[in-house]
Amino acid sequence: MSYFLRKIGFYAVALWAALTLNFAIPRMLPGNPVDILLAKLQQRGGQITPETRKAYALLLGGDDSQPLWRQYLDYLGNLFQGDLGVSVSYYPAPVSEVIGQSLPWTVVLVGLATVIAAVLGVALGAFVGWKPGTWLDSLIPATTLLAAVPYFWLALLLTYLLARVLGWFPLQGGYDVVLTPGWNPEFIASAIQYGFLPALTIVLASIGGWLLGMRNMMVSTLSEDYILTAEAKGLSPRKILRSYASRNAVLPSVAGFAISLGFVVSGSVITEQVFSYPGIGGRLLGAVSNNDYALMQGLFLFITLAVLGANLVVDLLYGLIDPRTRARS
Amino acid sequence: MSLDFRKRGAAALLAGAAALGLLATGCSSGGSAGGDTTTLVAYTGQAGDYQINFNPFSPSRIGALGTIYEPLFFHNKAEVSDPVPLLGTESSWSEDGTVLSVTLREGVKWSDGEAFTADDVVFTFDMIKNNPAINTGGFDGTVAAVDDTHVTLTFAEPSFVRGPDLLNTPIVPEHLWKDVNPAEDVMEQPVGTGAWLLEDFKPQAFTYKANPDYWGGEPAVKQIRFLALSGNQAGADAVAAGTIDWQTGPIPDIQNTNKNFPNYDAYTQAQNQMVLATCSSAEMGCEGPQTDPAVRQALYYAMDRSQINSLAFMDTASDMSPTFALTPSQDSFVSASVAEKTVPMEPDTAEAAELLEAAGWTMGDDGVYAKDGERLSLTIEVVTGWTDYITAVDTITSQAAAAGIEIKSAQSSWNEWTDKKGKGNFQLAIDSLWQGPIADPYYLYGYFFESTSGAKVGEAAGNNYSRYSNPVVDEAMAALVQLPLDDPAARQPYFDAIQAEIVRDMPYIPILTGGTTSVWNTAKFTGWPSDDDLYAFPAVWSAMDAAEIFKQLEPKG
Repeated sequence: MSYFLRKIGFYAVALWAALTLNFAIPRMLPGNPVDILLAKLQQRGGQITPETRKAYALLLGGDDSQPLWRQYLDYLGNLFQGDLGVSVSYYPAPVSEVIGQSLPWTVVLVGLATVIAAVLGVALGAFVGWKPGTWLDSLIPATTLLAAVPYFWLALLLTYLLARVLGWFPLQGGYDVVLTPGWNPEFIASAIQYGFLPALTIVLASIGGWLLGMRNMMVSTLSEDYILTAEAKGLSPRKILRSYASRNAVLPSVAGFAISLGFVVSGSVITEQVFSYPGIGGRLLGAVSNNDYALMQGLFLFITLAVLGANLVVDLLYGLIDPRTRARS
Repeated sequence: MSLDFRKRGAAALLAGAAALGLLATGCSSGGSAGGDTTTLVAYTGQAGDYQINFNPFSPSRIGALGTIYEPLFFHNKAEVSDPVPLLGTESSWSEDGTVLSVTLREGVKWSDGEAFTADDVVFTFDMIKNNPAINTGGFDGTVAAVDDTHVTLTFAEPSFVRGPDLLNTPIVPEHLWKDVNPAEDVMEQPVGTGAWLLEDFKPQAFTYKANPDYWGGEPAVKQIRFLALSGNQAGADAVAAGTIDWQTGPIPDIQNTNKNFPNYDAYTQAQNQMVLATCSSAEMGCEGPQTDPAVRQALYYAMDRSQINSLAFMDTASDMSPTFALTPSQDSFVSASVAEKTVPMEPDTAEAAELLEAAGWTMGDDGVYAKDGERLSLTIEVVTGWTDYITAVDTITSQAAAAGIEIKSAQSSWNEWTDKKGKGNFQLAIDSLWQGPIADPYYLYGYFFESTSGAKVGEAAGNNYSRYSNPVVDEAMAALVQLPLDDPAARQPYFDAIQAEIVRDMPYIPILTGGTTSVWNTAKFTGWPSDDDLYAFPAVWSAMDAAEIFKQLEPKG
């Protein structure tokens, strides 16, 4: 039991440290939101007079007068009430609304793509590792090549081929804007159609890592004595593959999978940029360039929680699936 | 700047994609965003999804200004011209400039069926005055309804120059707005008098439909859809794929737009004067050689602008007047006594040397001038990823070296760059100056040269971040406030005085006038602005101008 308590205590401290950094880092950025907003308006052809500056400073509430420790306490207090503040760049929308609108898109797209990539990669890796030295080994360089190509380049190439030349998939966006968003079949079909290409690029770019890791673990597991024993007992190769080799070889991949699940929430900024996909990555980019502290804090909070949460779950799960990690405690 | 919309980082990164895009012109990409032939699809250049906000007074609004909420008059800032009457039909100032009388259009209805009256106008101005957070023009007058179709705005002081901004104010319905917080309500169902109604909103797009009861007649463009894309690169891709009809922003190989994409044409309007802004005033705390006017003058002559134009701006930039009156639309304001009507396109290092030597600088052994042990070395601040400006700075660096001036460049993020300018922690910054609500240099002088919007180094400055402070300019500006805008004979002596000062002192060193480029679909719609008929400033993000252009367009076939 103390194993689990220690783990949870560690994560509580990590969470506090993350929240504090989350508070501090945006405040170290140069510039302030009013200046950025004005500079942006100016580029959009707005006339910025001294009165404009005054009005927007009033509107966005320049409460810099409060001492930093006071802001910190308010921040922690509001956080526990679930109040993330008001976004400056999307004023007057609350941060939770801005995030709530984008988060599902990212979680579904990147989440599904990550699951598909991991499952496919691990399954293929196990199979390739089972038969080392055959033509299947050529899958390794092929997929690692895809992973090594800069992601945006791969995405652009696929977009060019599949969307522009062949016209199989839409070029940009998350859904057909003519349809009404909601749980109706047309909309869901269009969301799948629009999401397919971005998901494909993520799967192609990340499958290589899973495959390589799993295959190498398989090869080293297959040389273990207990595999030899199992073979000597006369078990069927299929049974050895599933119950003896794969189950032991998959452990590092499970840990890796949890960590990558944590990063699902932070989205794939580049994917969303290339495909103009609605999601959290684009919001993050916008928040940083607009000095939108509240939105940045909100987004970082979600990302932190997701990464910590995923790690915690895996740590706990690991205690269950791999008794060796518990044994020492 | 030649590329108005500053997502150049991404543009540079993804330039390869654009090249691919060019190859693919002939191929279609399915995608029903284009809609039917009477739907105009526009991209404003905003990066990322939309958050609903149709409040015309909100800085984070995504639309409704001009298209749904109309002002009293439309002012064309691209050309010297008379205001176009919208909700107002006539306006006039009293002799002393303290009372503005406006006659309102009769028979106009809000889109919910209620009649538009003088009370709505009075309500709108009162609301702005009572809510400092939306009072972006600093309105402090008194507004009164004379009768149903006449209102007056009364000021304590002559206020001729505020006329265009006042008449540009969007008018909102009293019966719906009297109970809302005008600073915070996002107006999910905007009700206005304009030519369009909001049809639907989604984070990835919002659509207007034509208002059948519009007082000016139902517009020919039946639907306008604004798409959310990730930035300029995505916009250029969408043009290549034919899914948008109008975007304002750069596309690759802009000169040959019509050749690459037969359905599209590009139009560039010179509107932003590009400058090397200097932290000019030693009294205000600026440090460095650029506080010496002779150094600024020398840099002005050291530049080879033809080379800058071809290397950095793909030859899309155009002439500029050192008086900062926009060329050509404001040429009539240029003082007769200014010797150089436009900036020299070729470098004149002899002139630069003469200026520097007269000011006590001497050529050092290392080929760089020096004075009292201080080398003539300057740093230009430029934003990371603004590739055309970076190229321009590199070009200027080598040109200045030939004139004995050492230039270094420092790249920083946009936020940091804005911060440095505001606080005065810079020597030179490459930037562009913006125009006022109408084609009149008064506004630019007021924004950038009047000492009231400057500040000491270390304090946040307003627009005048060069910290230029000149009593002659301030006095002339004060005198111009007293004069009606339509009296050029009386105003010109003051413009002459200002121009003589700023051409000599040069707190902003003129480079060239940058263009704002729109790419639009000429196969689907006609009636776009042109050199012959520049009825509005062609930029889709300039809401009032875009609304005027939407009204003039006709679907083809």
